[in-house]
Amino acid sequence: MTTAPSRWLSAALAVLAGLCTAGLAQAQPQPDTLRIRLNADIRSTDPGVNRDNNTDAVMMHVLEGLVAYREDASVAPLLAQSVTASADGKTYTFKLRQGVKFHNGAPLTADDVVFAWNRYMAPANNWRCLAEFDGRGLAKVLKVDAPDAATVVYTLDKPSALFLATLARVDCGGTGIYHRSSLEADGKWREPVATGPYKLGEWKRGQYIELLRNDGYAALPGPRDGNTGAKIAETPKVRFVIIPDASAAKAALFSGGIDLNYDINDEDMAEYKGRKDVLMETQATMNVQGLLFQTRDPLLKDARIRRAIALALDMPELVAAVTSGNAPPSRSVVPTPSAFYKKPQAAVPPRNLALAKKLLAEAGYKGEPIKILATKRYNSVFNIAVLTQAMVQEAGIKAEVEVLDWATLLDRYTKGNYQAMAFTFSARLDPALSYEMVTGPKDKQPRKVWDEPLAHELLAKSMETSDAAQRQALFDKLEARMREDVPAIFMYSAVNTSAARSYARGYKGWALGTPRAWGVALRAP
Amino acid sequence: MGSSFPLYVGRRLLWTLPTLFLVSLMVFVLMRLVPGDPALLILGDSATPEQLADLHAQFGLDRPIPVQFTLWLGKMLQGDLGHSITSGEAVLPLLLERFQVSAAIVLVAVALAALLAVPAGLLAAWKQNSVLDTMVVAAATFFLSIPSFWLGLLLLLFVGLKLGLVPVVGYVPFSEDWRSALTFLILPTITLALIELGILTRMARASAVEVLRLEYVTHARAKGLSERRVLLRHVLPNAFAPTWTMIGLVLGNLLGGIAVLETVFTLPGLGRLLVDAIFARDYPVVQGCLLFTAAIYVLVNLVVDLCYPLFDPRVSAS
Repeated sequence: MTTAPSRWLSAALAVLAGLCTAGLAQAQPQPDTLRIRLNADIRSTDPGVNRDNNTDAVMMHVLEGLVAYREDASVAPLLAQSVTASADGKTYTFKLRQGVKFHNGAPLTADDVVFAWNRYMAPANNWRCLAEFDGRGLAKVLKVDAPDAATVVYTLDKPSALFLATLARVDCGGTGIYHRSSLEADGKWREPVATGPYKLGEWKRGQYIELLRNDGYAALPGPRDGNTGAKIAETPKVRFVIIPDASAAKAALFSGGIDLNYDINDEDMAEYKGRKDVLMETQATMNVQGLLFQTRDPLLKDARIRRAIALALDMPELVAAVTSGNAPPSRSVVPTPSAFYKKPQAAVPPRNLALAKKLLAEAGYKGEPIKILATKRYNSVFNIAVLTQAMVQEAGIKAEVEVLDWATLLDRYTKGNYQAMAFTFSARLDPALSYEMVTGPKDKQPRKVWDEPLAHELLAKSMETSDAAQRQALFDKLEARMREDVPAIFMYSAVNTSAARSYARGYKGWALGTPRAWGVALRAP
Repeated sequence: MGSSFPLYVGRRLLWTLPTLFLVSLMVFVLMRLVPGDPALLILGDSATPEQLADLHAQFGLDRPIPVQFTLWLGKMLQGDLGHSITSGEAVLPLLLERFQVSAAIVLVAVALAALLAVPAGLLAAWKQNSVLDTMVVAAATFFLSIPSFWLGLLLLLFVGLKLGLVPVVGYVPFSEDWRSALTFLILPTITLALIELGILTRMARASAVEVLRLEYVTHARAKGLSERRVLLRHVLPNAFAPTWTMIGLVLGNLLGGIAVLETVFTLPGLGRLLVDAIFARDYPVVQGCLLFTAAIYVLVNLVVDLCYPLFDPRVSAS
């Protein structure tokens, strides 16, 4: 006869066994769902409105624009079959691809492009890139016409070498084209009904975003190529699982709770490498990191001191330490994967402590402390600051590191309220945009680090001409001038290392650093 | 308790109003004083002055702070805590949804900890200075000293990863699938229970030691009552009150969010919501979270106080 306590014990053990079974089931790969880690939830599904990098990454699986970025950061047609610019550079004619359908089965027409464009340009909708096209930016879009169902014509007020690149920008939502049914009857955003290889399935806030394969997707021929090329959805579902903590993400990957962590911490590299069931891949991105100077600071306004700091740094050593040897050093604001990254951009001057000390003496530097702001939100930024402090000490420069939270650091950056700051820039896919992010009038935009008339002139020219050779020459001149003036010391282009379970085949990182679920298949483990 | 009980409850509830108002005002002002701009965080490092101005206008951040507070207060009194700057969601439903996750873990963990701590503390006090007492105090001190995230990660790596018994990430609401929900909540609940076990055991032991020294206990023993009866009928009811107070404080504190554990176990709880909102300078969510937390804290402590007469009939509303 069983006693009451032993009956309770048996029941408890049975429940525990049941729960463990449920737990084990959760940890197994799900053959129809590719699970990718995101470090934070997305903000919205309305393209280019309320967004961040994670939002852009997910939405680029659902939305497509007329053009998109290739693997080499050049711009190529996506929903457009072809793009033709007029001789004066003010008119762009897009011929739409045939056979493209929205997620609801409706065919893509030129009217849909005009509809989406008009919504983007309505100020009430708060499109992030409105200012680029309404006359406040590089060129104003005067009108958009649809002369026939397969043709869209944009007319600008002046030529702009960056028009197509801006349309393709992922932070602009890729200027993605969506169907009218993406909106409610009152015009409010509902959800994206677009043309991408995936459509929105379920968004459980704070937990995951699930996308479903678009079985009617009209893929481009050829290989996968950036945000364009062949986008083959190999798995029926993609689930972006929100895991803020890097250690928890690592545990999730190792236990089979997720299939892909597309950007692992450099410090965890060794542990990932030690796993036989994990495939890793490293890719340079268009994000640059480095040290910014406030050239209006009483001490740092002297370029000799800025040059001395640059000369005091052992760049290969510093970058190897910060990136665990994964990224090469680069003193250029132009990212290493860029097609315009050539010999002048790749040059890395050697450390020269003697010259650094000489410059400091000439500048009358008396050991005044230089405060370097940093943040622990991005470990690499913090490490740049700490290593810089250590290295410049050998040249007799007294540097102090002050750590702030990201919001405060960004605020200080925007206001130009710092002496020196270790910083990371989000990806710019055109060198003109890379220079533009740091060059400009400080009186109007205090965040700009380089306020130099020649730089402004060269930059403006690079934004007008589309000729590659001319642009390269301009970028080379800007490079030389920047190295002379040293308003900032760029150190490297960030690398992304992805880790995928061995049964998740085909993942490849790219210059934008965002994950791409297309082309990734789940083989039987 | 008589007719004074409703009056007592009514008075206590009335006193919460100025408390909550002060909390709201302090949080509002402090958040605006902290450097950082939510519009800038949304736009990133490429934000232009025009884009910032547009977003400020959209969120009402271009208005004077007293105007912003008055508008927020007016809406709050109507039950509208505003909308998240980051996600656009309404704050109150968001809070309630996240609170369910945190509350599920906290209530079970504290109940578990109390169920273990009270008998352990009582036994340790009864066998004071014995090997049992030493072991209980050592264990309690250990759990009191270790950081929750360390224990959480350890359990996650061992139980979740090495043994593979529970999933290491994710969450499923009970309403969807209670079995899966339990698998996700087991580890965080056990972690939290172990952490709280320390302080509750120490409190239970300390108050039991005090009571065991009292004359009436000696008298009860002299009467020939068994040790079991002395402990359960005479010591525990009198020794439990301080522990009950501690349980109330712990509960009120934890119900405000267990951000660290929620981050380690990837749970969409209230604590994580608050921390994320602070980093994002999501003012409406921060204000809503802290107001909600303060209200919960006050309510829990009111309930704790109202339960005292159950343990000690000498305590009454008057």
